[in-house]
Amino acid sequence: MALRAEPPDGGWGWMVVLSAFFQSALVFGVLRSFGVFFVEFVAAFEEPAARVSWIASIGIAVQQFGSPVGSALSTKFGPRPVVMAGGILAALGMLLAAFATSLTHLYLSIGLLSGSGWALTFTPTLACLSRYFSRRRSLATGLALTGVGLSSFAFAPLFQWLLSQYAWRGALLLVSSLSLHLVACGALLRPLSLAEDPVVGGPGAQLANLLHHGPFLRYTVALTLINTGYFIPYVHLVAHLRDLDWDPLPAAFLLSAAAISDPVGRVASGWLGDAVPGPVARLLMLWTTMTGVILALYPVAQAPTALVALTVAYGFTSGALTPVAFSVLPELVGTGKIYCGLGLVQMVESIGGLLGAPLSGYLRDVTGTYTASFVVAGAFLLAGSGVLITLPHFFCFSAPTSKPQDPVTEALDAKVPLPREGLGED
Amino acid sequence: MRSLPSLRGPRAPPLPLLLLCLLAPVRRSSEDGRTPAAPFTSLPVREEMMAKYSNLSLESHNISLTEHSNMPVEKNITLERPSNIELTCQFMTSGDLNSVNVTWKKGDKLLENNYLINATGSILYTQYMFTIVNSEQMGSYSCFFEEKKEQRGTFNFKVPELHEKKKPLITYVGDSVVLMCKCQGCFPLNWTWYSSNGSVQVPVGVPMNNKYVINGKNANETRLKIMQLSEEDQGSYWCHAIFQLGESEEHIELVVLSYWVPLKAFLAIAAEVVLLVAIILLCEMYTQKKKKHSDDGKEFEQIEQLKSDDSNGIENNAPRHRKNESVGQ
Repeated sequence: MALRAEPPDGGWGWMVVLSAFFQSALVFGVLRSFGVFFVEFVAAFEEPAARVSWIASIGIAVQQFGSPVGSALSTKFGPRPVVMAGGILAALGMLLAAFATSLTHLYLSIGLLSGSGWALTFTPTLACLSRYFSRRRSLATGLALTGVGLSSFAFAPLFQWLLSQYAWRGALLLVSSLSLHLVACGALLRPLSLAEDPVVGGPGAQLANLLHHGPFLRYTVALTLINTGYFIPYVHLVAHLRDLDWDPLPAAFLLSAAAISDPVGRVASGWLGDAVPGPVARLLMLWTTMTGVILALYPVAQAPTALVALTVAYGFTSGALTPVAFSVLPELVGTGKIYCGLGLVQMVESIGGLLGAPLSGYLRDVTGTYTASFVVAGAFLLAGSGVLITLPHFFCFSAPTSKPQDPVTEALDAKVPLPREGLGED
Repeated sequence: MRSLPSLRGPRAPPLPLLLLCLLAPVRRSSEDGRTPAAPFTSLPVREEMMAKYSNLSLESHNISLTEHSNMPVEKNITLERPSNIELTCQFMTSGDLNSVNVTWKKGDKLLENNYLINATGSILYTQYMFTIVNSEQMGSYSCFFEEKKEQRGTFNFKVPELHEKKKPLITYVGDSVVLMCKCQGCFPLNWTWYSSNGSVQVPVGVPMNNKYVINGKNANETRLKIMQLSEEDQGSYWCHAIFQLGESEEHIELVVLSYWVPLKAFLAIAAEVVLLVAIILLCEMYTQKKKKHSDDGKEFEQIEQLKSDDSNGIENNAPRHRKNESVGQ
């Protein structure tokens, strides 16, 4: 296959969008709807809720910390075999979980095995998507990520129905067969050779290079700060509403409203990211600042209409910042290093995600209300957007190229021989 | 007109009534507080009976009726253990209180004695006191006020009900399951389990073996654990809560599936995934082959072109070879 100079920006790229859409549905939709199984596990194994929630936590942690592994493997072998292997692992984990006789089995099968499977699928797919698009990258990413929101809608009732028909063992078997579709999605990821691939070298060299890349490191810090504040409303909004004497049903409806404005925000921001010239980092800063301000306003809002407006706005802006967050990376490090870059970013920002919710809960326990939690979350987001200002070309008005500006990579040019990656996928 | 206590009441002998008028002790007023203490006096016969059951708790209940009530008024009372009961009905009418006929019935049976009648202002009170110690005494007790129309108030006594179970329990062959029954805020004397296929209920778990184990963590719940499930264990199960004053039961449906049921669905979907992957990869190979053919075609044309150039024009071996190499990559 001939080396392409530019990403195709369409054509087979739309199939990759489709694949990424289903993958985000199958990975994050399943994770988010797993709460439905939670009640069943508590009853079946007679364990306290805290121990059962470790299943999901282990799964998420493995998925995020395993991202660099997924990226490194895709740099070496291409995304297709890695994602297909990940799909098989994820399905296998669920399959084994159906035969579990103790909670530890579930930790290992769903947490470890399925978590590793998910680590091998999501990051390589998004990176592959960034390689297929340059002008319409944000839109493509935004469209792909809507899979998360829509699947949360569909999967929660579906899982409930499966549980009522087959009990949790049979339901897990069928969720496993659902996860097998990740393999089919992986098959859609046709390998693409871009002009810069021979230049940037194998995964080890890329990782070393990235760790010395100033803007990349700053960007990682920014995303970590953002991630710390990002999840707090999802985790604590319902509890906060109950504190304000809302009934459970209207509170759940409010979350659904956010879940609807979320994909709308993703697509709108994706389109905007491509339409507006200049570095995408500015848009990311815009959305992040808005989300931070909204979060800080939460404690002030008491009236139901204000809360509804805030929540819908939160859904929109927090959804809006996701596609641009992924689009900034190729501009910083180039599409050649995108796999490794994305993996590293996911791993580091997950620290923020893991710390955010417990921190918020701790603040609530200490102060008695969620005011401090929301304000701190907003502060983290604003801090993250502040760090974004330090990224290169922030105040420029010309369109950035997708090639890296680093002198280090040009030095690599001379040293590294042609790797197998570009040619080995014909 | 006769004196008040005997307004159209039962045919009680006149002597105790005289005693009533003379003695007129203040009676225990233990009503809801909404109604003023009806100045009832107590029959000595009943006082004796009350002393026998004085260690039991007292339940007082009250119903108000007017002459315009369209529907009979009912009150449901949950009773768990033997108690002394005090039922009061009051009737408001603008007409003549003396012309109202007052009766009490248990179910359809007329009750003969043990009730009192009093009138203050335009309200007529009647009170029935008794004791419930066994299940035959549970049921419906009604007071009737007959003027032009009959007004009726009913007190329904029931043992505590077990809360309704929702959906059937789904389990698999070889698994074990725990069926649980719980009574909210009540403590039965005993629990028993039955299974039924059809209408006959058969006791379950009475000889405790390694298939059935019955235990409960507290007095208000019971658990039936069934091990080594097979498809014959499928069906309806009933748990009975036994009180001194009766029984109440709850129904649980158990469904036993074989692993094959979801496994079939799993294999079908897995086959579908394999098919999808095959289609995708084959499509790709096909389009690549087509591209290669068209590339080969172009290469062939180019060679032909060069050959014709060559034969027409200048002999130029070296560039031609190089061109071929680069095209054939």
